Amino acid sequence: MTSIRKSHLTLKALNESMIDLPAPKNISAWWNFGSLLSLCLALQILTGLFLAMHYTSDISTAFSSVVHICRDVNYGWLIRSIHANGASFFFICIYLHIGRGLYYGSYLNKEAWSAGVILLLLVMMTAFVGYVLPWGQMSFWGATVITNLLSAIPYVGENIVQWLWGGFSVDSATLTRFFAFHFLFPFGIIAMTLVHLLFLHEKGSSNPVGINSNADKIYFHPYFIYKDLIGFAWFALFLITLVLFIPNLLGDPENFTPANPLVTPPHIKPEWYFLFAYAILRSIPNKLGGVFALLASILILLIVPILHTSKWQNFAFRPLAQIFMGLLVVDVAILTWIGGMPVEPPFIIIGQIASFLYFFLFLVFFPLSGWLENKMLES
Amino acid sequence: MKFGDLARMRHIITFSLSPFEQKIFPNFFSEILPNTWRRFRGSFFRIAPPTALGYMVYSWGTNNHKESKRKKPEDYANDE
Repeated sequence: MTSIRKSHLTLKALNESMIDLPAPKNISAWWNFGSLLSLCLALQILTGLFLAMHYTSDISTAFSSVVHICRDVNYGWLIRSIHANGASFFFICIYLHIGRGLYYGSYLNKEAWSAGVILLLLVMMTAFVGYVLPWGQMSFWGATVITNLLSAIPYVGENIVQWLWGGFSVDSATLTRFFAFHFLFPFGIIAMTLVHLLFLHEKGSSNPVGINSNADKIYFHPYFIYKDLIGFAWFALFLITLVLFIPNLLGDPENFTPANPLVTPPHIKPEWYFLFAYAILRSIPNKLGGVFALLASILILLIVPILHTSKWQNFAFRPLAQIFMGLLVVDVAILTWIGGMPVEPPFIIIGQIASFLYFFLFLVFFPLSGWLENKMLES
Repeated sequence: MKFGDLARMRHIITFSLSPFEQKIFPNFFSEILPNTWRRFRGSFFRIAPPTALGYMVYSWGTNNHKESKRKKPEDYANDE
């Protein structure tokens, strides 16, 4: 007599992905970020839904509707703060999740990895359009700077930008459609997440040692259900600390001023999670070149599986690769710092060297280290 | 991927001791401390150098930029 969770059509899918799923015994805390991302998504959708009940997307009322949410709506200040800081935590989790994927060679599951890169792009697009919605100075000017980049496309660039804007500049038409996109994209994220998990569960999770773990698997429930719950508790602790004690730490004070197309802020910059890409964009003096570099900085992740040369899956036994990984992390931190700085010396040259190093690490240093380590193994 | 269809396992023998029949921190100075140092050496000297380099770049860049915003005393040496 098979239990209902194994025989029922829908419950069977749930059972095989979260209960009876064979999981490696030794997966570490770095494997918690996948479930944390699902938690982030659920949290953002829930808080976003409640915000959408009170937000209005017309330029004359958008800013004041956010003020109304914070001041008048019951616990509106809390919902808004969780949503804004939750977005930052989404990116913290996603970057740590990608870092885990790079270090432990999870990208060798090419289909899951590619689905993950598409997820990253979707999350970035959602966050970008979402930041415009409060209609503060940084919302307006950030949207103006980034959407104007599309005009670099030869011949059709200007037309594409005006089509996207719904007019000749970022205005009410832009805001209303950005609200629609911000509501819509998360459902695409949900769909892509299911695809990502589908590919993951074909082969199963990797593990910190990098060897085949089929001989030593344990049931997902209860072990990793409880481990993930502990991860959720830590996540909730950090998020609620930020939300209740320092809610504006990661924000820009410029966004407390309503958008004014006649007044340009002295330092236009995106939120912290886009700063590394912003630095790469600004490092190239040519507009189209900068746009290509910006796209390449994310899309390079798609070719990482092809550039894998090592006989080992992960970096645990690869000293050179570990040093280069440390260098990559520090390089992205430097790029994040530079992205928030004005375009003045010596930040210009530091940004250019750091941008060059970013691509050089992926395209040359990592494959080279794999080849060298294989040679060391032979000798 | 399903339990019952993972890998062929043969001759699995496991041994263990009762917790009442062993010390909790055996050979602390002869094994545990050297092993802790081994694990520290294995990761610290691969993470610390890039981090130190990154901090030096940040520190130099910030100071250099601050200096560039200051007036140079030499330019006003012959005033009055």
